[in-house]
Amino acid sequence: MTLKLIVAGVALALISMLCIAADSPHSNPTIPVAQNSVQADAMRVAGEKTFHANCGRCHAAPQKFPPRMMATIVRHMRVRATITDEDMRLVLFYMTQ
Amino acid sequence: MKSLLRNLARQSRRNFALSRPACVLLIASLLPAVSRAQTSSSDSPVPILSGSAGYFNFITAGQNQIDAQINPVLLLPLGDQWLVESRAEFEGAFQRPPGGGPYEGGVSKNLDYAQVDYIANPYFTVTLGRFLTPFGIFNERLYPIWIRSLQQDPLILPLSAESSDGMMLRGGFPLNPNANLSYAVYGSAISTVHNNLVSDRNVGGRVGFFLPGSRLEVGTSWQKLLQDARTNSFGLYFAWQPQRLPLNMHGEYARSNQGSGYWVDGAYRLSQVTYWQRVMRRLEFAARAEQFFSGEISSDEAEAIGLPGASTREGEFGLNYYLRDGVKAVASYGRQFSSDGNFNLWTVGITYRFLLPLGRVGLQ
Repeated sequence: MTLKLIVAGVALALISMLCIAADSPHSNPTIPVAQNSVQADAMRVAGEKTFHANCGRCHAAPQKFPPRMMATIVRHMRVRATITDEDMRLVLFYMTQ
Repeated sequence: MKSLLRNLARQSRRNFALSRPACVLLIASLLPAVSRAQTSSSDSPVPILSGSAGYFNFITAGQNQIDAQINPVLLLPLGDQWLVESRAEFEGAFQRPPGGGPYEGGVSKNLDYAQVDYIANPYFTVTLGRFLTPFGIFNERLYPIWIRSLQQDPLILPLSAESSDGMMLRGGFPLNPNANLSYAVYGSAISTVHNNLVSDRNVGGRVGFFLPGSRLEVGTSWQKLLQDARTNSFGLYFAWQPQRLPLNMHGEYARSNQGSGYWVDGAYRLSQVTYWQRVMRRLEFAARAEQFFSGEISSDEAEAIGLPGASTREGEFGLNYYLRDGVKAVASYGRQFSSDGNFNLWTVGITYRFLLPLGRVGLQ
């Protein structure tokens, strides 16, 4: 009985949170767009640094993949490695440019 | 012992039956959101079949074991905020019987995780289904054979549940420019411990701090059994990559009523060696030191869940050679010391990581 109450409470809380968060504007990292080549270079350097600091904690750098594959991989790694949104955007830029 | 395991299995089935209506309700409530608009931009994520395969020879105390395994991972992104992901494990382990004769063994199958993730916002992800238990870092992050630097499992790995069936909330965010925080909390109706045994309901969590400047992550984990002895498990971990060296260090400490212990390992890529660079930059030296202290359970119970039957020390070192992206040849030697006897552990093998898009990806 206690477990049922806990599960029901958590389910209600979850559904409430989903409703609140559903319209969040920044929930899916997209590949950032650089305004010019200088900014692109800076983002690439920052992305490489972020990649080595975050992804390199567990595994060696893989080859680069097409953007649609990287988008899936980044989403997977974001959940698995609890990497922040900002870091994910930089990694996505670095791995697709 | 068998009756204990039967009781565990029966209890777990009962727990699952109790929570099934709630799971159905949850999944039904989430379906409308899943079916909402899919993006169709050229950068939208594509489903992927990934995973790893490996072939190993493990020689433990003179006994040769041939081990072949394939661990497919399916990633299915839905819309902008959803991801369905799953990993299965198929492992064939074969060895000669003690009296000699042909190799014997079988293939074990395990569903490591099958989960639905909802990325609610940049700081918060909800996971439902079977997920890898976020206790320490080895189980969640370092377990795949293409990632781990030494193929033998740490002695303390079975101290926490391998997989949990339930719900998890997790995320990460920057505390300030010099520190990020990550967290995971979960509740589980059933947990699968190592050796595919099932365990009881539990709750737990993990919190970690990552300092990007020094590339250091430290964290702590906790797990509580919600029935019977209502025991607690506690863990600490670290991961460190010095800026100036191609060195990758990890370590964990765990404590529960089943025992306690620690492991520390390091992998050093020889990319800074100035001679034979074409070979040396692909070569990695790895080493691990670890210790396990017996807990309050009997040696039979400990061995049933994959723990050593007695307090144990182990040292291991190995060489990994990266043949090309995703392909790694491995070799290692270790020695285990315990009151049950000392013996050598040899490992030779090869691992392969694959990644296949299940749709059009266009040009890179």
